[in-house]
Amino acid sequence: MTKKEKKSFNQCMAEWKLFLYNPTTREFLGRTTKSWGLILLFYLVFYGFLAALFSFTMWAMLQTLNDEVPKYRDQIPSPGLMVFPKPVTALDYSFRVSDPESYRGYVDDLTKFLKSYDLEEQKNLTACPDGALREQKGPTYTACQFPVVSLKGCSGVEDPEFGYSTGNPCILVKMNRIIGLKPQGKPRINCISKGEKTATLSTYPSNGTIDLKYFPYYGKKLHVRYLQPLVAVQVAFNTTSTGKEVTVECKIDGSPNLRNQDDRDKFLGRVVFKITMHA
Amino acid sequence: MEFGKTRGRVTPQELNPSSGPKPKRVPKMVGRRKKEKVKRKKNKANIEELKKEVVMDDHKLTLEELSRRYSVDLTKGLRPEKAQEILDRDGPNTLTPPPTTPEWVKFCKQLFGGFSILLWTGAILCFVAYGIQTYFNEEPTKDNLYLGIVLAVVVFITGCFSYYQEAKSSKIMESFKSMVPQVDNSSLTGESEPQSRFPHFTHENLLETRNICFFSTNCVEGTARGIVIATGDSTVMGRIASLTSGLAVGQTPIATEIKHFIHIITMVAVFLGVSFFGLSLMLGYSWLKAVIFLIGIIVANVPEGLLVTVTVCLTLTAKRMAKKNCLVKNLEAVETLGSTSIICSDKTGTLTQNRMTVAHLWFDKTTYEADTSEEQTVNTFAKDSDTWFILARIAGLCNRADFKPDQETLPIAKRATTGDASESALLKFIEQSYSSVKEMREKSPKVAEIPFNSTNKYQISIHLREDSSQTHVLLMKGAPERILAFCSSYLLNGQEYSMDEEMKEAFQNAYLELGGLGERVLGFCFLNLPNTFSKGFKFNTDEVNFPMENFCFVGLISMIDPPRPAVPEAVCKCRSAGIKVIMVTGDHPITAKAIAKGVGIISEGTETAEDTTAQLKVHVRQIDSRDVKAIVVHGSDLKDMSSAQLDEILRNYTEIVFARTSPQQKLIIVEGCQRQGNVVAATGDGVNDSPALKKADIGIAMGITGSDVSKQAADMILLDDNFASIVTGVEEGRLIFDNLKKSIAYTLTSNIPEITPFLLFIILGIPLPLGTITILCIDLGTDMVPAISLAYESAESDIMKRAPRDPKNDKLVNYRLIGMAYGQIGMIQALAGFFTYFVILAENGFKPADLLGIRHDWENSYVNDLEDSYGQQWTFEQRKILEFTCQTGFFVSIVIVQWADLIICKTRRNSVFQQGMKNKILIFGILEETFLAAFLCYTPGMDMALRMYPLKLAGERDLLLKSAEEELHMT
Repeated sequence: MTKKEKKSFNQCMAEWKLFLYNPTTREFLGRTTKSWGLILLFYLVFYGFLAALFSFTMWAMLQTLNDEVPKYRDQIPSPGLMVFPKPVTALDYSFRVSDPESYRGYVDDLTKFLKSYDLEEQKNLTACPDGALREQKGPTYTACQFPVVSLKGCSGVEDPEFGYSTGNPCILVKMNRIIGLKPQGKPRINCISKGEKTATLSTYPSNGTIDLKYFPYYGKKLHVRYLQPLVAVQVAFNTTSTGKEVTVECKIDGSPNLRNQDDRDKFLGRVVFKITMHA
Repeated sequence: MEFGKTRGRVTPQELNPSSGPKPKRVPKMVGRRKKEKVKRKKNKANIEELKKEVVMDDHKLTLEELSRRYSVDLTKGLRPEKAQEILDRDGPNTLTPPPTTPEWVKFCKQLFGGFSILLWTGAILCFVAYGIQTYFNEEPTKDNLYLGIVLAVVVFITGCFSYYQEAKSSKIMESFKSMVPQVDNSSLTGESEPQSRFPHFTHENLLETRNICFFSTNCVEGTARGIVIATGDSTVMGRIASLTSGLAVGQTPIATEIKHFIHIITMVAVFLGVSFFGLSLMLGYSWLKAVIFLIGIIVANVPEGLLVTVTVCLTLTAKRMAKKNCLVKNLEAVETLGSTSIICSDKTGTLTQNRMTVAHLWFDKTTYEADTSEEQTVNTFAKDSDTWFILARIAGLCNRADFKPDQETLPIAKRATTGDASESALLKFIEQSYSSVKEMREKSPKVAEIPFNSTNKYQISIHLREDSSQTHVLLMKGAPERILAFCSSYLLNGQEYSMDEEMKEAFQNAYLELGGLGERVLGFCFLNLPNTFSKGFKFNTDEVNFPMENFCFVGLISMIDPPRPAVPEAVCKCRSAGIKVIMVTGDHPITAKAIAKGVGIISEGTETAEDTTAQLKVHVRQIDSRDVKAIVVHGSDLKDMSSAQLDEILRNYTEIVFARTSPQQKLIIVEGCQRQGNVVAATGDGVNDSPALKKADIGIAMGITGSDVSKQAADMILLDDNFASIVTGVEEGRLIFDNLKKSIAYTLTSNIPEITPFLLFIILGIPLPLGTITILCIDLGTDMVPAISLAYESAESDIMKRAPRDPKNDKLVNYRLIGMAYGQIGMIQALAGFFTYFVILAENGFKPADLLGIRHDWENSYVNDLEDSYGQQWTFEQRKILEFTCQTGFFVSIVIVQWADLIICKTRRNSVFQQGMKNKILIFGILEETFLAAFLCYTPGMDMALRMYPLKLAGERDLLLKSAEEELHMT
């Protein structure tokens, strides 16, 4: 019985070998070299042609695009809200006051981010009048200065640790850039702590106002060096409360055309984040 | 129950008792019972034994020996207690019913057979992937779960559907069963003539000997008394039945094809999966992700819609075939018929009309031909000859057959008659071509009669003469040589001449000629009785008191069961289609050969070795057997042949007739054909045919005359018993094979544009261009109707002009088809889809170059300020909507390129212009898929249900159309 099986296995192997290379017909995997060569040649030419065709159509399509403004902007009618710095996972900030290493990442990110808001950097930008949209006709577009001092304790000027070392961490809230977006009314960022009042929140500039002079945005190419308006939230935990943990929800308020309530999009005009501070 | 010997009535107590203390048999039967448990091991040996002829010597014994052997009293039978004892030992006289498969097993076979395995594997892999994902909390996406569920549901529904289909056709079968009364023809030997039985041993062969009656045969006439020698499963019929149920059945060709197809698909899937598994590991993905990708790629290769498509296509063809009188019991048999290369056909009823008909007449030294077509309208012989009048009167009067009442409205040929086949044939013939037989019989009433019997071989009746009702005429018909012996004169053009050598020679020639045509010849003569036998004379038929010599010979009438009118054409079609038709019959070789010549199984001009020797007057051995194409094999020769000899015959002769075959030999012939690698179709109606029907790749039972057992063993039932219907079935089977190829090519093509998005998603890190749901929408939605519509495609050329498919080389799915579908058309489709995808993304702000490697941030739901090429920032939800819009775009572009693909797959050899666009279902399919795509894309709420978003009409659609055009131009 075993003998028979062994034989059939050997036969099988021999068949495979013959299939791999058949010396009599000089066939490799059931085809001669010439046949394989022709197949290869065909697919080379065929795919070469397809690649060329695809490249050409893509090139032609890119020619139809405007470099300054995308063809359609209806997918993002209303801006999302986002916080900075962005924690590694989810939007949970967690650090230990006594351990500088635990918040070094946040501080470094903030410092780096605010570098473009440095007074030196803003020297060449326009000082725009407050309270009105700043529509421009081109051909050159200028960006408005953003007075970083308005962020007070969160500007990094007075406190390079952005309050993390003192237990009053700063988080920046910013509205997504959208080309041509013109907010109506007086938009502001309104932050509240959810659940138990374990902490008091301060927003800078006062009231969380976003000035209309930073709108509309004209796109990366035209609106070089554009500075996004920022709002800072500083958390001060109540000394009485035992849990040093707070969930903050920020929303855009005061502008009828900026939506802040969408069932599916949890970041459309609002953002929720959590701060956990250990002693 | 079989009983032999003794004439007389069968007493009830004799019905059950079976083999008494018969030394050989009893231990064997007891043994069989014990062996029941180890039956499986012994099964094969048993089958081999069953295939052999029954060996028995009971028929050779004298009555006394027999009564001693079974210790039974010849007049009283067995004692009741002894009968009871035997009954307890052997069980009742019934056949063990074949082990019927329970319904749930049948259902499971549909659920887990063939293609379904592929989908089940896919579904299980999906669940595994989902399990891994949830366990390690990787990307909380439920796509894999949904895909798994959908796959499982698809297999389940398709399984239910095909189960329902088969249940329906078996129901049709059952209803058919109740409609048709069982015919009493001997279902055992295939001979339809009633046979007489007497206690003498006449033949070595058990089946031929006249002193044995068989189980399941009916007594037509007379009474008998006999001794039971076997009951139930040990009867000849029982052996056949157990042989049938014990035979192993091979795989159908289409099942083999599907297996091969699954091999190819699995190879492609595993190859792609493993190579991208390695690639994703090299690209730095985690093991876990790489495994998920591996599973994802393998599952993506599963053609979800194909199972449904193939099932529906086969069902449609089965329905079409049923309309053409081929009822298919099992869907896969639809295609088997198309790959058939040999048909082993019965003669009686299948090739012939199963109705004796007058074929020739010989009188006035001339042979006349009668019309044997089914309508029998034309009569082309000398009706003005006086001899004809006399011949017609003898045939009409000396005839015990009669029409059954209440059939005046039917054409004569269709009317039912009482009496044996030859007499009925004569009755109908006379009624049709001479005058009403009823009137004739009223004018010349019968006064005496000697009925036909096999020792006399003649029949005599005495009638009053019509003209002078005082005298009598004696009419006689019978075997020609017997008739001639009675005659001293003959009739020529109405004049009586005395018998001479010339006439005798003419008679001999005519008799030989008609006999050589395979016809049954009857001779007719008469004698006008002298006045001494005037009206009122008491004729005594037992002690003959009237003259029995010096009759006047009138003529001969020969009869045959003529071929069905459509059969010669069908056989011719088979021949041009490369199908060998072999006739297997229990009939006499001469009759078989005549019919074979008549229908073209032995074609015109071809001669058997015997013909040639007769012509050249040389010995059979002197003829080079390679020159001879046709052969008539006698059953008794076949019995002594080794299988190698049989193989040689089957190989070397193109036109073969097997005559005088016994029940088991048909099976041997079928097996011989299969040994040559042929796909064999076998027809049959009797119980004796059922082993062959089961063994053949496709067994074809007769709907009208077929026995239930044969119908059960068969894969297909011919509702009209007509051989020509088989040929139309072959045509349909071949067509569906071609069309299935097209359907599969069409369905497989869209696999590439469905897999490549996932591959590029892994490799290039772009947002996923086509999601699971959209893939399902294509495979189970838009692709479905067009793929099925290809089943309605008409043949590209005359499919009956090419040789049958070679199951070894001509595969349903070969590398060439895969290469075309995957390597060429699929690639073009993928490019079209990707183009659409890149256009939509670019026009909304994400240029192609910025997409590379964006995946990590794009898929992160906490990154809500992802920047596009223009500096705008997108929340997760916003870009997901964009992604789904792109997927919808990709989907629509696949639908559109599938228009082109459908037209490409529509033809394989012809161009579209040769083939035309006559397939209305196909056009409907294109419209349907387009409307479905539009519906999925634009119906409000689809964004919530399927995550499909409406596309802008202007820009993108233009580009889509352009890409479709490109594809059409290229191919």
